[in-house]
Amino acid sequence: MLASAWSSARIRRYSELSAARLSDFPGAAGVRPGSLREAGLALACDEPRPLLERRLVIVTGKGGTGKTTVVAALAVAAARAGRRVLVAETARDEQVSRLLAPGGPPAGHAGRTLRPGIQALRIDPFEALAEYLTLQIRARPLVDLVLGNRGFRQLMGASPGWRELITLGKIWHLEQIRGPDGPLYDLIVVDAPATGHGLTFLDVPRVVVSAVRAGPLRRHSAYVEAMLEDPERTLLLPVALAEELPARETAELVSRLRGALRIAVDRVVVNAVAQPPFPVGLEDLDERLAHLPPDLALGALPSVPELAECARHLRARYELNEAYAALIGRLTGLPSVRLPYLQEGADSPQAIESLAGPLLAPPRREAA
Amino acid sequence: MNRAEFAEGTLSRRRIAVCVGCGGVGKTTVAAGLALAAARRGRRTLVLTIDPARRLADALGVGALGNEPRELPREALEAHGVPESGELWAMMLDMKRTFDDLVERFAEGPEARDRILRNPIYQHVSDALAGSVEYSAMEKVYEIGESGRFDLIVVDTPPAQHALDFLEAPERLLEFLDSRIVQLLIHPAFAAGRFGFRLFQRGTRRVLQILERISGIGFLADVSEFLLAFEGMADGFRDRARQVRALLLGPESSFVLVAGPSRESVRQAGEFLDRLEAYAVPLAGVLVNRVRRWPGGGEPPEIASEPPSGDLAALGAALAADAGGEFPAELAARAAVEGARGYARLVERDDRETLALRQRIDAQGRFFGTIPEFRSDVHDLAGVERVARFAFGEPEESPP
Repeated sequence: MLASAWSSARIRRYSELSAARLSDFPGAAGVRPGSLREAGLALACDEPRPLLERRLVIVTGKGGTGKTTVVAALAVAAARAGRRVLVAETARDEQVSRLLAPGGPPAGHAGRTLRPGIQALRIDPFEALAEYLTLQIRARPLVDLVLGNRGFRQLMGASPGWRELITLGKIWHLEQIRGPDGPLYDLIVVDAPATGHGLTFLDVPRVVVSAVRAGPLRRHSAYVEAMLEDPERTLLLPVALAEELPARETAELVSRLRGALRIAVDRVVVNAVAQPPFPVGLEDLDERLAHLPPDLALGALPSVPELAECARHLRARYELNEAYAALIGRLTGLPSVRLPYLQEGADSPQAIESLAGPLLAPPRREAA
Repeated sequence: MNRAEFAEGTLSRRRIAVCVGCGGVGKTTVAAGLALAAARRGRRTLVLTIDPARRLADALGVGALGNEPRELPREALEAHGVPESGELWAMMLDMKRTFDDLVERFAEGPEARDRILRNPIYQHVSDALAGSVEYSAMEKVYEIGESGRFDLIVVDTPPAQHALDFLEAPERLLEFLDSRIVQLLIHPAFAAGRFGFRLFQRGTRRVLQILERISGIGFLADVSEFLLAFEGMADGFRDRARQVRALLLGPESSFVLVAGPSRESVRQAGEFLDRLEAYAVPLAGVLVNRVRRWPGGGEPPEIASEPPSGDLAALGAALAADAGGEFPAELAARAAVEGARGYARLVERDDRETLALRQRIDAQGRFFGTIPEFRSDVHDLAGVERVARFAFGEPEESPP
């Protein structure tokens, strides 16, 4: 699946590593943070490759942009192409599972199969922490001692960052899992939290690496950072709406990805794009309607001013939508994949099926 | 409550108006509209925005970060109905600087201040520390409010994952500082890098040893030093947090909840309301922004999917006559009617989605208002004035 010899070698090395215990990893195994960037590999992110060639796609976007819809559609598209997909949810309410397998039991931290080829789990930071501590400390009674300590729980309740870190650590671990014939999952799709710019979440490993001097915490954070910054494996997929605020926020997100945090991004998904309201050649229908005598007898139809005003609203909304889609392209310098606005809503399995194809379409540059 | 009473209560009787709501509903625009409406009533007004869209920021004259209020030019204000006595100032908050200011203020002396500002943990957590950003914003409101420079301060709250982070944040921060483990960690032995595990009970000692093993030598010492320095600030911080809270929840403030008409937005507004009620926040009303309205107001008419062919033909003929030459008359007439049908459905949907919210607010005797969706985004003072008129009416409508 990953074509270049370099990346197969890399995968092999990771699979050897994953055969060992997490806690046994040698500290300086060549996954020094930033090393990939220095090797110039991050440049590859500017050439869009098919989405399904990545192993880890992190979908990000503010609440209301349809991030969950995109996660579900990508999982469906990948499963159709014969990939073994894992959906990793970070939100408590498991929206993707509900979309893809309505009425089923929650996937929970242990996970479950939603459909053939699609598994899902919801990463619970406390469960993940217990797993991590068990790997680290090895003695279960000691783990229970730590987790049961009131002071420790208080500390965890108030400390920023650790939930993000342990969640990403769990994703790293899932990415490392190998079956008899290679990786257990061909594609892991992460429904990233909709907080802030969505980047606070991804920035934590880098922060830990720079703030902590030595020790297992730093070492493991470096592995996670290396995974996130590896353009061969990982892609960040921003979801935006063609509106002012999401457009600006997406631009800011992309610019931060080119600053301190180097995660590959090669396209923006512009969701819920309004379709042209009128047939070709009649784009100015609102103006034509406004020309007519206001008191024209139209029987059961709305009056001329009403028809004209409705047409004007639809056209204005459409044109504004187009302008913001173009603005997203201009501000980010990235091509985009457009998903249509669905009149009946995008929260049904049928809607998801219909978006799976368009999502895989090659991204296109927006006309200026 | 009717609109005039709402406007009077929010714009003329209070010193602080807080706009709350989820991101993406146009909260900043409504905050600007609220401020302009107050200035139009002759008040000296400041709007404190957090993260305005660029063009709106330019229109308000706060395109660049300043952390200082800037006055809008008199000519611009006059053109939008602000009388001689009214003023409109705008300010965009620089979060990071505000938090550093806080450290400057409450640190015990310059040495403690530098120790905090230089600590690697502080540099990374000051933006991540739960709710510190929200707290800084509220702190600034308090400071400006104390100065007495303005009759009304309009606050555009930061978009928050949790509805009332800006109210709850100080408490969480203090709880954290007061927690037992933090008290243990700020033991001076830690900061000095000598691990006085002996001082602790056996269980705690074990937990700390394990933490140390995983986090690495030195990390706990950094954390400890940071917390120790921060601890010195806690008293000043605690007092101020209490004052800020009293001001925001007291008789001089009113809250306006801004929502959007979509189902998701209304759901979030409902959750917001629950929280506001739990805090006994002085909520004046709810404004739903960008609501689609049928032209001329009222309910949209019933439009048949297959209208009488004679009516369609009449519309097509009129369009064709106006266009002259070859013209797809029937296609155009159908497209116009289909467009109106589609738009009517959107109007009905907005009405339906907001109904329960409207009923809930009405039952509380508070104000429920809508601001229509305009044909273009609000990005200049003319747009802000339209918002002000729709939400608050004209100044003379207010009771004397």
